[in-house]
Amino acid sequence: MSGSTSSADHEDSYVLHAWPYQETSQILEALGAQHGRVGLVARGARRPTSRWRSVLQPFLPLRLSWVGRGALYTLRSAEPASFAPALTGLALMGGFYLNELILNFVRRGDPHPGLFIAYSQALADLRAGGDTEPALRRFEFQLLAEVGYGLNLDHDVLNDVPLDPAAVYEYRLEQGPVPAAAGGGGLTFTGSELLAIGRGEFSSPVILRLSKRLFRAVLAHYLDGRTLKTREVMASMRR
Amino acid sequence: MAFTPLMQDLLAALRCLPGVGPKSSQRMAFHLLERNREGAQRIITSLAAALERIGLCSRCRMFTETQLCTICGDSRRDAGVVCVVETPADVVAIEESGVYRGRYFVLMGRLSPLDGIGPEQLGVPVLESQMADGVTREIILATSATVEGEATSGYLASLAREHRVRATRIAHGVPMGGELEYVDAGTLSHAITARTPMLAD
Repeated sequence: MSGSTSSADHEDSYVLHAWPYQETSQILEALGAQHGRVGLVARGARRPTSRWRSVLQPFLPLRLSWVGRGALYTLRSAEPASFAPALTGLALMGGFYLNELILNFVRRGDPHPGLFIAYSQALADLRAGGDTEPALRRFEFQLLAEVGYGLNLDHDVLNDVPLDPAAVYEYRLEQGPVPAAAGGGGLTFTGSELLAIGRGEFSSPVILRLSKRLFRAVLAHYLDGRTLKTREVMASMRR
Repeated sequence: MAFTPLMQDLLAALRCLPGVGPKSSQRMAFHLLERNREGAQRIITSLAAALERIGLCSRCRMFTETQLCTICGDSRRDAGVVCVVETPADVVAIEESGVYRGRYFVLMGRLSPLDGIGPEQLGVPVLESQMADGVTREIILATSATVEGEATSGYLASLAREHRVRATRIAHGVPMGGELEYVDAGTLSHAITARTPMLAD
């Protein structure tokens, strides 16, 4: 909520994005463990001698203190919470994607302690190396649930009965699975596939691919015409 | 106080310069009008000429009014080494160090996926065609030590590998005259992991 007062004392946080502000300052979008997404002004952070320059970087676990009222609070202190190796390559691009998702789906001022945990875990998974896709899918799934767009992946909403693993369903956006019409296109899955997505079985290549198709459609629906820039940039990098 | 419309326009125009606020714009305007109208005329002439004729070097994207900038046009410089930097100011900084004899490539920014800044906006296709020209042996990645700077370097290094061009990253570490006690943890960890052997045999 804009207009509210806020203060935090050494709250576990991450910087999601930063913009230059005035001559020597920065505006930060940060995710705090208790306060959720907050907008902060870091005064003097772009001065050549500012100690904040090396600290206020995305993906580093930080402890931030701020005070203020209105839409933007004033950053008071910033220090590293623990050491974390830098993300590189595809994992780094994945990290940018997580940040853009949060900026698009989470409003400033709504507390989301669960999201903070999910985000920390996703960064840890990205740092661990290997395929980045399972970490991204898991986070998309948790993010949707956390902001109130959780997916129904266990019962047929038309007949209000549990999913039949052998049956074929169409996933209707904002509703959930309904029995698929014969030869129907759209988002169709078998019951067992939907149940596996719901259990988060992203280590299976098939479930990983299907969940990408489903989550992408759901995210696009709620993005309502907005595009994810990280996805476009990643596509132009792969070209 | 209330200034005349022309005076207000002038003050507002001067404030587009970095570091110039109401007070300094007023000082500059009074100085030019009161004591140095000739200087003001020179600013007008050179600014107009610069805006009209200065573009980007076709090879390295440094500011120049000729096809090639002075560095790209200098045959004594090593054409096989290209140092990739984010801004023209970075070129000046490296030139002042006096140790570098290769060429440059100025990105005019860095990869910033959240702002939608991708390879095209940074002239990467131009750089990529230079990696493929058979002359370029090495690219030195001198982007900033930020997350976006690292993303930029990582991406360019993977392009260089595709073209079988050696990619190196400038070292990050303890500044000259720096005492470890006052160096931040991130820089120190880089300095330790990227340490170099001494008295190599």
